[in-house]
Amino acid sequence: MSNGCESYRVAESKRSEEFGWQMSRRGLLATVGLGAAGWLGAKSALAQVVVSEDAKDHEGDILISVFLRGGMDGLSAVVPYAEDAYHRGRPNLRLRSPKDNSAGAAYKALDLDGFFGLNPGLAALLPLYKEGKMAVVHAVGSGDQTRSHFEAMNAMERGMHQIRGGVQTGWVARHLASTPRRNPTPLRAVALSSVMPDALRGASHATTMASLTDFRLADPGLKEMLTGLYGNGNDVMAQAGRETLQVLDKLSHIKMENKPAGYPGSGLGIALQQVATLIRSGVGLEVACLEMGGWDTHVAQGTISGWLPGYLKELGDALAAFEKDMGPEMRRITLIVQTEFGRRVNENTGLGTDHGRASAMFLLGGSVRGGRVFADWPGMEEKQLDEVGDLRVTTDYRDVLADALTQRVAGSRPAEVFPGWEPKRSGGYFSPLS
Amino acid sequence: MTGAAVAGCAPIARRLAADLPADVSLPKGDVEPTLRLVNRLSFGSTPGEVSRVKALGRQAYLDQQLNPTDDEPAHLTVQLYRLDAYRMDSHEMEELPIDLVLMQLQQGTILRATYSPHQLRERLIEFWSDHFNIYARKGSSAFRKGVDDTNVIRKHALGNFKDLVSGSAHSPAMLAYLDNQVNVKGVANENYARELMELHTLGVHGGYTQRDVQEVARCFTGWGIENRFMRPKGKFVFNSERHDDGEKVVLGNRIAPLGGEKDGERVIELLALHPNTAKFICTKMCRYFLGHTESKVVDQMAKVYLANRGEIKPVVAEMFSEANLAEAPPVQKRPFDYMISALRATGAQTDGGRALQEHLDRMGMPLYQWPMPDGYPVKSEAWTGTLLARWNFAAAMARNEISGTVVDIKKLEERSKGDLASVLTGSSERARLVAKHVPANDLTKLATACLASPDFQWR
Repeated sequence: MSNGCESYRVAESKRSEEFGWQMSRRGLLATVGLGAAGWLGAKSALAQVVVSEDAKDHEGDILISVFLRGGMDGLSAVVPYAEDAYHRGRPNLRLRSPKDNSAGAAYKALDLDGFFGLNPGLAALLPLYKEGKMAVVHAVGSGDQTRSHFEAMNAMERGMHQIRGGVQTGWVARHLASTPRRNPTPLRAVALSSVMPDALRGASHATTMASLTDFRLADPGLKEMLTGLYGNGNDVMAQAGRETLQVLDKLSHIKMENKPAGYPGSGLGIALQQVATLIRSGVGLEVACLEMGGWDTHVAQGTISGWLPGYLKELGDALAAFEKDMGPEMRRITLIVQTEFGRRVNENTGLGTDHGRASAMFLLGGSVRGGRVFADWPGMEEKQLDEVGDLRVTTDYRDVLADALTQRVAGSRPAEVFPGWEPKRSGGYFSPLS
Repeated sequence: MTGAAVAGCAPIARRLAADLPADVSLPKGDVEPTLRLVNRLSFGSTPGEVSRVKALGRQAYLDQQLNPTDDEPAHLTVQLYRLDAYRMDSHEMEELPIDLVLMQLQQGTILRATYSPHQLRERLIEFWSDHFNIYARKGSSAFRKGVDDTNVIRKHALGNFKDLVSGSAHSPAMLAYLDNQVNVKGVANENYARELMELHTLGVHGGYTQRDVQEVARCFTGWGIENRFMRPKGKFVFNSERHDDGEKVVLGNRIAPLGGEKDGERVIELLALHPNTAKFICTKMCRYFLGHTESKVVDQMAKVYLANRGEIKPVVAEMFSEANLAEAPPVQKRPFDYMISALRATGAQTDGGRALQEHLDRMGMPLYQWPMPDGYPVKSEAWTGTLLARWNFAAAMARNEISGTVVDIKKLEERSKGDLASVLTGSSERARLVAKHVPANDLTKLATACLASPDFQWR
């Protein structure tokens, strides 16, 4: 392998498999011996789409996406306590109506609107809901029918109804590409995780890092050498190397806040605190992608204590701490919590729940039309469920994401970000930028 | 068994370890095909290995790799002998701290990947460990993963795929991880049944329905882990009282009532030898080892798979044909792969211990700690955020700042006849490109540059 990257033409080096393009045999043979740099072309077709002519400065909210991996049980998080069928399907796992004292106060859902109640694990979010700073969307999801975590996550992270035949890039990547900036930095979008989420797949000006505070070169003296080594080359790692060096530069100017007070020590708490640092330091952050795993509660998920209530508490406490920390800054922040699917209505014999369809989303931020549960409620009686016994999806998760883009990011183009998506009504989840 | 005792055997192991060959320089002539062969079959070449394999010849090397034995170098055996996580009964092990067990599990895997001459087996073990992923931080999984590694993954890595699936289905680690231990008649638990078809055999579009998931779940009701008094705790058990003995239909095949434990075994047979499984497994192997999923290659491998009734060895042999290797595009090294290749390239002596593992953590790939059942990702974009941690690892290793890991860059340079960079990068041209960014005579920096370079991120 020699270093043939400098003269190499991107057109022939598309890494077909990863982007679903057919790799031509001619392309293969032409590149034998060219080294990694030769084989792997530009990160994606998108990298070349960015046109600087209509580039504008970012105007609007910072979007924060929190993805709950594993399939959050929406029926436990936001309980439809007024449905008889809920109580019948979940004889052991159910929470009680706020007015039902038969099992003790601890088992009562926290009332939201007379029909739905919040899981007590999410108690920290109740004041935000009441103050109109938070909303819930229920019976929401994608069109994925496989009930596979990976298909369903992939569909959502690519912004698709379901993934078959869909585009290969992530929805955040397309959003970045469709809103070119005058002085883009690799910190336009940041994912705080060790593995890049699919939402950023194919993105330019995006960075994945496990932790903001660990993001430093142990020996700063190596920077010059690395800059030389990563000076050219078109493969994904060479590009990532250049971006990593740029990010190091950017971050070297910001002061790391050492203010653990107020945030829980959970992974999500720490990540949200680091997002707060990025926002305050004004590095040009537009989108942050966070995640929290472990929601696949097939067994012993717990009602008021244990697995699921514990996870909900971790989620609620971290979000509430962030909201409190950001204070008035929340007016330019839109935070959306989503999950790949919800869970079966009927509990299983292991006191857990299997993969289902619709779940719930949480929306936070100054522009959220809060204090309400948005739901085109499909009902939970047997004939109202789908053929497997799952809550039907009546709201496309893209309606919510697209509404956030439309209302809260000037110049955004939801139609490009969510191909095939058709606005059914003006979402109404967020108020427009003023 | 304590960490201190493990550290205590490191000096013995070091004495037993082979010294670097007297001449580690690259052989004359075109080394590219040999390098390619070694890099695809192994975790990367060691000093002097390209010469050795070139002299040995392609076929002989391939045959050796396809037919591994139980013999390991003495220094490796000594170090492995001390790892209780692979030796103790999982039930007794529960008295150990989980972090110690996890440390040892990773230690064993790092040591074998670095030092075993049976490299292809180790790479297949990595492949199957992801394929049958177990999250060792779920419940007691850490105490059961060692047995799973020895009796399932390692045992059948080059054996028959049906035995792998069957071994995994009976493995307490898997029974606990995917909740089949609580799969009881009534409303069956679908977790294992779904992943068995989606991830282990047919693939998500492999032709099963939600109905099949529910039927397969019923077939596996009662497969669990022994927990009763005076019984072999922690071992596989079939509990007929928990089994749903009604009729089932799986992928159109009727499974008669009262089949008991045989229901699950019948399912495994149906799935393991299904043409869609052949295709799914071969596609995944092809992507992992060759870096593409071209149907021409996959179809041929799947044909071999079915003709040999799930035997893995002939499929692997087919995959590594001369033409397939010559046409294979580079594959990005995942963090584990990257770390092992750096240890091997420099001829490092390591105990595989916590200090080294911390670097793996920072690179985002602590072993046996991927929570979802699909295993660590293979697609290269997933790992672009890990470069900084790789650079920091390369620098720390070259400077001998990782406790328990020692490299002798000076000696390596001497034995490479003064051409360290060529030996580390595998070509004089790549060496030249790297060296121009490093001050002359700074060997530590030169080694760092080679290992941190963009090219070293690919195999």
